[in-house]
Amino acid sequence: MLLEFEKVNYTYPTSPQPALQSLTLRIPRGKRCALLGHNGCGKTTLFLLANGLYKPQGGAVHWQGSPMRYDRHSLMDLRQKVGLVFQDPEQQLVASTVEEDISYGLCNLGLPEPEVNQRVEKAITTFNLSELAACPVHHLSLGQKKRVSLADVMVLQPELLLLDEPTAYLDQRHTRDLMTKLRQIHEMGTTIVMATHDLDLAYCWADWIFILDHGTLVLEGTPQDVFAQRSLLESLQLGVPLVFDVLDQVAEALSKNSEQAEYQVTHSIPEQLRNRILDVFRYS
Amino acid sequence: MSSLQIDTLAYGSRLRQLPPEHKLLFAIALLLITYAAQVPVQLAIAGWISIWTMVYAGIPASVYLRLLSITIAFWLTSLPALIVNGIDLSHLSSVQADVWQGFTWGNYYVYLSYRGVQQAGELGARAIASTACLYFVILTVPFTEILSVLRRIGCPALLIELMMMMYRFIFVLLQTANQLWTAQQSRGGYRTRKLWMKSLGLLIGQLLQRTLKNYRQISLTLNSRGFTGDFRVCHSRQYQPSRRYSFEALFGCTLLVMLTGWHYVVGI
Repeated sequence: MLLEFEKVNYTYPTSPQPALQSLTLRIPRGKRCALLGHNGCGKTTLFLLANGLYKPQGGAVHWQGSPMRYDRHSLMDLRQKVGLVFQDPEQQLVASTVEEDISYGLCNLGLPEPEVNQRVEKAITTFNLSELAACPVHHLSLGQKKRVSLADVMVLQPELLLLDEPTAYLDQRHTRDLMTKLRQIHEMGTTIVMATHDLDLAYCWADWIFILDHGTLVLEGTPQDVFAQRSLLESLQLGVPLVFDVLDQVAEALSKNSEQAEYQVTHSIPEQLRNRILDVFRYS
Repeated sequence: MSSLQIDTLAYGSRLRQLPPEHKLLFAIALLLITYAAQVPVQLAIAGWISIWTMVYAGIPASVYLRLLSITIAFWLTSLPALIVNGIDLSHLSSVQADVWQGFTWGNYYVYLSYRGVQQAGELGARAIASTACLYFVILTVPFTEILSVLRRIGCPALLIELMMMMYRFIFVLLQTANQLWTAQQSRGGYRTRKLWMKSLGLLIGQLLQRTLKNYRQISLTLNSRGFTGDFRVCHSRQYQPSRRYSFEALFGCTLLVMLTGWHYVVGI
């Protein structure tokens, strides 16, 4: 396990309800995890705790098996290994040009300047930012800002990448580019956790799903297992990915229309076919 | 002309690859000559630096002239105070030499003064020449490069960090204000004078609240990105000094200094 939350409690000073209550959640190494849940279910708080920005008020957070320490040095170390991409890139980009912004985290690590420049240059090529390198941050479009904020974090070579709703406000094309980039990042051996509202995206991309509700973990597992629990998901008002909806509708139509010759035996979609269709919609 | 557009022009200028120190030194040298020189030299400086800005740096003439017209407008508004004089009829003889045109108005004599015209001319030439020098700087050197020059010459780090953050977040603030303003307008918030005041109050209040919220978020981000107490960044930009531009600048400045000196000698 890479990161473990054990019975973690956290309540914001200004809020009557706890943001996380007795949350136990373990992030397995090397997986692509999706974190699903309604607005205000505690996804962002979870990320802030994982990055050591907040301290749990009860319970403990473990990084690679040992409890998280909150002294300056350990935090510095942790924040290099756990990269957090915030939802709003406007908040994340602090320096004035793209290149300077990417160098910011490296400079904070106290690396020598030639190494910083070399790593920045590499990140700029990897994230296709060559044309924007000398550009001031406020000239970029939202999609470009998102790309820079991902480069900001990835240049530190974290072991765990946390993404807070990375596809929010992005159009189809930018979402697709982002997913390609995430695939490359995952192939390099980085564990990724993405908080999202997009069930289809989660189904297609993730190989492990967490479902959060009111600050607790209600369900986790592989996408097939999790989304098979339709009634539970409906009761949480989350719903299921479109492909599950479509298959269920088709099965229902078939069972009503039992006179059709071909399907007289099953009255539904054969299990194997169903699984094959479901697999087609997963990214491989 | 918003600051954003000026900034965009500075990033796209054709003199971008010149070292910012050279451009700053050049502008400062011209500014100093402007203070010492007479009207003809000042006009020459204004013309010469305008060529640098419009031709060499490729800043569109329409933008540049519009910026320059702001200065000219200020100068024009100060003209009446400089040129028009009034004097009691009984004292008319004492200023007779100074009168260019005039008429009697009641007990007074109102006239346009020679000295005033001369002063206005001097003021105009100096104002236009010195703003042209400043425009050359802001239109060809991006603000971030000015900051890095300041850092290199030993300006206090705290001051530079503050300016850097302000420069980054002034655009966020402007954008927020703009969004709020548009949202209010689309819902008819500025229809009447009374509503106008009320909406503006709301806007300012909201802006403060959002600034505070933004501040909290920024401190989270800075921490998450390993902020250690001083704000440091690196860049790899390479500048190429240009022999041709350096030569023109040096030659021109020497000529202007000599002209100014000659003026003083002849003047004595």
